[in-house]
Amino acid sequence: MQQQNIWTKLIRVDRRILYLILFLNIAVFLMFPFKMPATITSPARGLYDAVDSLQPNDLVMISSNWSASTMAENQPQLEAIIKHLIRKGARFTLVSNEAQSRDLSKRIAVGVTQSSDNAEYHTYGQKWAHLGFVTDLIAAIRGMGSNLSEAVKQDVEGTPIDQLPVLQGAKSLKDYKMVIDVTPSGTLPYWISYRPPNLIVGYAPTSVMAAEGFTYLDSKQLVGMITGLKGAHEYEQLMGETGLGHKFINAISFSHVLILLFIGLGNLAMIMARRAQGEA
Amino acid sequence: MQLALDMSRDGATWMMAAIVVLAFLGMFGLVFLLQMLSTQGRRAIVVAVTFIAGLIFALEFFLPAQPVDGQDKNFLSDPTLQIQNFLQVVAGMALGLGTYGLLRLHLRNVVQKRAQWGYSASLLISLVVMGFLSIWHSLGEKNVEGQPLVATNETAEYIFSVLFNNMIVQMDAAMFSLIAFYIFSAAYRAFRIRSIEATILMATAMIVMIGIVPLGKAISEGIGLPAELPPEYAKEPFSLTAILYSLKLPTMADWILKTLNAPATRAIEFGVAVGGLATAIRLWLSMDRGLGV
Amino acid sequence: MEWLNDFLPLSLERMGIWIGAICTVALYSILYRENPAYRLFEHLFIGLAAGYSLGPLVGDILYKYWYLPLTEGAWWWAFAVPFGMWLYFIYSEKYGWVSRIVIGVLIGASAGLFFQQFCSLYVPQIYASFKPIIPTGANEGLLASNAINNFIFIVVLLSVLTYFLFSFEQRGPVKRTAVLGRWMLMIALGAIFGNTLMARMALLVGRVYYLLHDWLMQI
Repeated sequence: MQQQNIWTKLIRVDRRILYLILFLNIAVFLMFPFKMPATITSPARGLYDAVDSLQPNDLVMISSNWSASTMAENQPQLEAIIKHLIRKGARFTLVSNEAQSRDLSKRIAVGVTQSSDNAEYHTYGQKWAHLGFVTDLIAAIRGMGSNLSEAVKQDVEGTPIDQLPVLQGAKSLKDYKMVIDVTPSGTLPYWISYRPPNLIVGYAPTSVMAAEGFTYLDSKQLVGMITGLKGAHEYEQLMGETGLGHKFINAISFSHVLILLFIGLGNLAMIMARRAQGEA
Repeated sequence: MQLALDMSRDGATWMMAAIVVLAFLGMFGLVFLLQMLSTQGRRAIVVAVTFIAGLIFALEFFLPAQPVDGQDKNFLSDPTLQIQNFLQVVAGMALGLGTYGLLRLHLRNVVQKRAQWGYSASLLISLVVMGFLSIWHSLGEKNVEGQPLVATNETAEYIFSVLFNNMIVQMDAAMFSLIAFYIFSAAYRAFRIRSIEATILMATAMIVMIGIVPLGKAISEGIGLPAELPPEYAKEPFSLTAILYSLKLPTMADWILKTLNAPATRAIEFGVAVGGLATAIRLWLSMDRGLGV
Repeated sequence: MEWLNDFLPLSLERMGIWIGAICTVALYSILYRENPAYRLFEHLFIGLAAGYSLGPLVGDILYKYWYLPLTEGAWWWAFAVPFGMWLYFIYSEKYGWVSRIVIGVLIGASAGLFFQQFCSLYVPQIYASFKPIIPTGANEGLLASNAINNFIFIVVLLSVLTYFLFSFEQRGPVKRTAVLGRWMLMIALGAIFGNTLMARMALLVGRVYYLLHDWLMQI
């Protein structure tokens, strides 16, 4: 009877105790960090190699479609990618299909470019620009694929596209080398479907979306992918940088252990409670 | 001369304003005319508009294109560019529909003093204040020939930055992070391994969850599995080193994702493709039930 | 605004962080129980987020795609906004059907565009599914391990596709293949489940980091 009570109580434990355990587990591993190197997966390596093979002044489009709700995953990805682009001397433009991302991604790009050693990136518009928010991504991709200045007209600061130094010589997406979609939603199929064929596609999704990316990696429609925060951690490791990915990854690793332990415990409690019921 | 220029500019502005007003009046007047149509007439209009909108894009894709100024174009390429910009405006109005719906609902709550109308009032105040500041911010950011499009104000920009960076961003992040607590609680309470399917799902989730994070690598190498696969073993998949390397959690997770997950999701994609194509044709030809006319 | 720092107990930056922390804690209070603080901040959040979306809408859409063409003399663009506003008749019982014209344009365009998506997105995947499984002269360099993996890939693809065949009753070998397909689907769902948990944990880690690092400065 005593045993039955313990297992039944365990099954019916107050949800707030579970919440507290999860919170403390994460807090502890954030407060006491230790270094655990990541295994570099081939999708992350693929994206890194594709960016690494860019030549100075090659143009890259970053499609930043996330809001603050997925900031913990998409911000480290975007920061790592921009840092790498700066390291390669590549030009880049951002475009957002998410209203919040218009200001969020610009703020991040300003932060990363200002803190970089490369002075060329310090002046907005020289090596990078934000093309603003678009409501219909398919229309925007198709439009930019044929005529950039007609489809986008101006950047967020009101400079006409053909007067932006960063876009000198670029008439359409065909003059870009690569697009990287940083996204928590299903925007990747649009880029794959409607981009000019010469444009290679990189993918930085939230972890939720990543499992679906493998079919596009297999068909070579994607050149590489970094999966959420852990992908950002791999990317940072490849670049030899210490960013948010490094700070967060241990807490994530051990939250997984906690979840698996509790799933096991929940099942064990159920079995034991039933057995005790059967004995009674 | 300057005055004449200003007058001509003012004249153009007035002309533009008049056209906009006329367009609004014309389009809303048209609604009353359309209202006179029979149900069949209304249906015909919706069907025709849907079909033409689809036809333009379908033809533009299927018709052969010729190189013009370095671009492959057919006779529909330039018009579709304009139509796509038009779609941005229409989709923008659709975006505003959500805000309009919220305004409507909560205004009614406040006006009728329904239960807990104070919350609705707080929502309306925050919406109006933020809407005003956000429009000011986005227009104030723009320059026309070196001059700001709209004069900015330091205090307003500061309040906008606090409301955006310190409230919206933080609350959005907090709101979605709540799911972590619920998913943890649900996994503990509801994830029961009672069937083959649940066992397969759980085993895969376990390997993937530990295998894709650095902990998987640490555990595997901690029990003595090889850190790397030397190139000479790559061609000998059945050598002891290669087998031990395959047993590493990160290797297993990677294999599951690439060799088992990818084809399964591809099969789902194929289903989506066929279903999507059928749905697209049905919608395009208005073959689906009732158009709400 | 920097002059304000001289009169405040905290710097403007710290005050901003305090505001963010209060918002976070107020929303987290729902974890304990339903309460007025949560309700208030929930409504504030919805109002602020909806209000914010008007800025990008006006600055990046209406200004760029509607106002600019008008100033360049393309007077016919004046009709774009009122046409889009027909959508708002959706709330009217009498004129609601007018919104269907605008919805028809959006749906028709999406349908017409889907043909391109079908050809560009799915056809390459069909090609990629024909994988070499026998090391022959044509597949020089195909390793045995790759051939095995390719074979498994094709088996999984076909079995899951079989599972989705509902046009006839599944019997005999078809049923067995479909059962295998269901198990393979469970593997894909397991991978998605694992990734989903990771995503949710990452969002929470980000928030805990904000509280401990930015607010309490303990990290």
